[in-house]
Amino acid sequence: MAIAVGARERHGHAGRIGRVCVRMLAALGVASVAGCATFDPPKPWEKGDLARPSMRLDADPLAARAMAHVYQSKEGAAGGGTVGGGGCGCN
Amino acid sequence: MRLQLKAGAAPTAGEAARSDAPRASERSAALIAAALALPGILPSHALAQTAPDEGVVAMRYLDYRDWQPGARRMTVRNPSLYALVPFGSSLAVEGSLIYDAMSGASPLYHDTLSGASGLGITDYRTAGDMKVTKYIDGNALAFGVAGSYERDYKSRAASFEWRRASADRNTTLAVGVAATRDSIDSANGVARNKHRETYDLLLGITQVLSSDALVESSVTWSDGRGYYSDPYKLLDTRPDQRRIFAWLTRYNRYLPHPDATLRVAYRYLDDSFGGRSHTVEASWVQTLPRGFTLMPMLRYYTQGAADFYHDPPFPEGSVQGEPYTADTRLSAFGAITAGLRLAKSFPGGVTADVALSFYRQRAGWRAGGEGSPGLLEFSARWIEFGLEKRF
Amino acid sequence: MPATVLEEVHRYAFVAMASRHELHVWAPDRAHADRAARAAIADVLRIEGKFTRYRDASVTSTINRNAGGGAVAIDAETVALLRYADRCHALSEGRFDLTSGVLRRAWDFKRRPPRVPADTEIAALLELIDWPRVEWDEHSIRLPRVGMELDFGGIGKEYAADRATAILREHGIAHALVNLAGDVRVVGAHPDGTPWRVGIQHPRETGGVVATVELADGAVATSGDYERYFEVGGKRYSHLLDARTGRPVAHWQSVSVVAELATLAGSYATLAMLFAADAPSFLAREGAHYLAIAADGTMAANMPFLQGTPWPHPTG
Repeated sequence: MAIAVGARERHGHAGRIGRVCVRMLAALGVASVAGCATFDPPKPWEKGDLARPSMRLDADPLAARAMAHVYQSKEGAAGGGTVGGGGCGCN
Repeated sequence: MRLQLKAGAAPTAGEAARSDAPRASERSAALIAAALALPGILPSHALAQTAPDEGVVAMRYLDYRDWQPGARRMTVRNPSLYALVPFGSSLAVEGSLIYDAMSGASPLYHDTLSGASGLGITDYRTAGDMKVTKYIDGNALAFGVAGSYERDYKSRAASFEWRRASADRNTTLAVGVAATRDSIDSANGVARNKHRETYDLLLGITQVLSSDALVESSVTWSDGRGYYSDPYKLLDTRPDQRRIFAWLTRYNRYLPHPDATLRVAYRYLDDSFGGRSHTVEASWVQTLPRGFTLMPMLRYYTQGAADFYHDPPFPEGSVQGEPYTADTRLSAFGAITAGLRLAKSFPGGVTADVALSFYRQRAGWRAGGEGSPGLLEFSARWIEFGLEKRF
Repeated sequence: MPATVLEEVHRYAFVAMASRHELHVWAPDRAHADRAARAAIADVLRIEGKFTRYRDASVTSTINRNAGGGAVAIDAETVALLRYADRCHALSEGRFDLTSGVLRRAWDFKRRPPRVPADTEIAALLELIDWPRVEWDEHSIRLPRVGMELDFGGIGKEYAADRATAILREHGIAHALVNLAGDVRVVGAHPDGTPWRVGIQHPRETGGVVATVELADGAVATSGDYERYFEVGGKRYSHLLDARTGRPVAHWQSVSVVAELATLAGSYATLAMLFAADAPSFLAREGAHYLAIAADGTMAANMPFLQGTPWPHPTG
């Protein structure tokens, strides 16, 4: 019984790290979205920056596949973003 | 309308000024290409609904290692190959192959096999996929197949996706469907000739917000029936149906003054097994002199436990006929990944990169506390080497 | 209990003797494992080079070239293998014969379409299979008739597996597994005490496993009718030829034997296949632990190291 209580206390304290992380990243996201201020779709000749490799949504297909597999085998969530990628036997 | 994005002769400023009508796109596009001066620029498939101008061949090597107090360390090496070949302006074929010596959360069941022929000596996994995309008039139709092969698990999938761009190419809608069939035949004989079928539906929208920013959001529904239990874990019994809802949003923003791109992504996932997860990932792509790019990355992941996950001691909570698992992958925890990648581009469309990432999973890092008790901290690190050539 | 010495298993895969092999080596660091593995692999390649038929300079080729002629000088290692093969010949009552390689000329497993040789062809070759007439001693060997041949294929690989293990031990490796094309020899268990888990390949289903053997030391070797064979008229002709008749045996799909050494395990497995229906009594006489799968799929076993339930249930 004592052990179980101790564990909960530890998690309560360290759960804050998780919450801080979420808040930090959310703040980063909000700040960047706020930075763009208005919705201002560009003309075709203004799309230069959008074509940068770093702006691509499908950048690094191999790295993405490798990462997806690492996370899929260590975490419970699988999916989102693409369909039909084939599974692995890692449940 | 077709964006020509090969690095070419710089057109004059006068030409650029005249091109305010859609018909003048070719000349304005040439200006854009010259201004960027980065080798091997490909338009994002989501934005320009035409086949890419350049093909790509890439290879990657992953060196992965994980450790957990009291458990065996696992080391894995994983080479992979990717190629994208355009055929004219309306067809593209891409495919990848991965040779993977990592399978599942636990070490390989058999260390090796004894047989007369010497085949099937090790439990490796090979996976491959191929996609053919046809571009017709602002639409992209893609048909793909994928497969994964391990001695005890085989997976085959087919998918179809339709993307349609708006007239100004600032909005793209996507619809995708996929069907997957998995066969499970566990090495210990617990699962013999088991199957599982999954159907997925994806709806997505990509919107260019400004000349420097875009956002993509998609939802995926997945419905699977069949065998989900882990045959290598005692008493593991899972429901024979799994419905997943995932919502992924990605935002990319280019910042001209630091000459860097900010990429943020958030994924919400809801699972009929009872687990719910949130993933937040942010990376910063910083262009440096001499063709170098530095990319730090941070990812935070949190998940709740599946309804039928039971804390230690094992096998407390197990009831005959009821779903049960002690698999810590379905427990409640949080995980953080921190990584750094350095890339350098060389003449001739070649890019080389190296990346180092660290990963740690802790029950205590679950957002909101309440992580599963009795979980051992899990850590991993991986190093990647990549080489890419555009032609 | 926390591990004070950081150890991890390093795997090495390589090709030799037209097959795939691997080493699993537990060592404090990669450099140590690399050194040991490299030495072990080098020796496997050395043995291959020494006893292969495909190199003119090999011991085997030299001996065969001089058949019907003068004696050929041989070293201690070759003599030891000859002595071992001699014992196998006696134990198998002539079914195993180091000079039976000539049957290759009648039984061509690469030929398309495959062809069953005529009795006359086999009879002619049987004249050249006569181990007891081979003249050999501590220093030299002579094949008395022109056309006679030695073939170390039946014992070379298993011997190499034991040699590789010895070399790993010499390099201070205490936990390792050597798998040469299905002949497995282990040194110690995993550092945490759990035994090595070796799956026995299913003789008909690629990648299937019929049973799992747990080893904390020793070896397991498998001989099967699926390594090299052809089928004519619905009948399978495997490469395991009884030296007395010159014809393939057909009783077992595969036999796996657990013994202290890979050489021993391999020979028992091969001999058991050659003994056909008499295999269980032969293996019982020798006190060997085995798992045999008959042509109809039923199993006979005397194997206390099995994990899980083999299917169907073992008989005998």
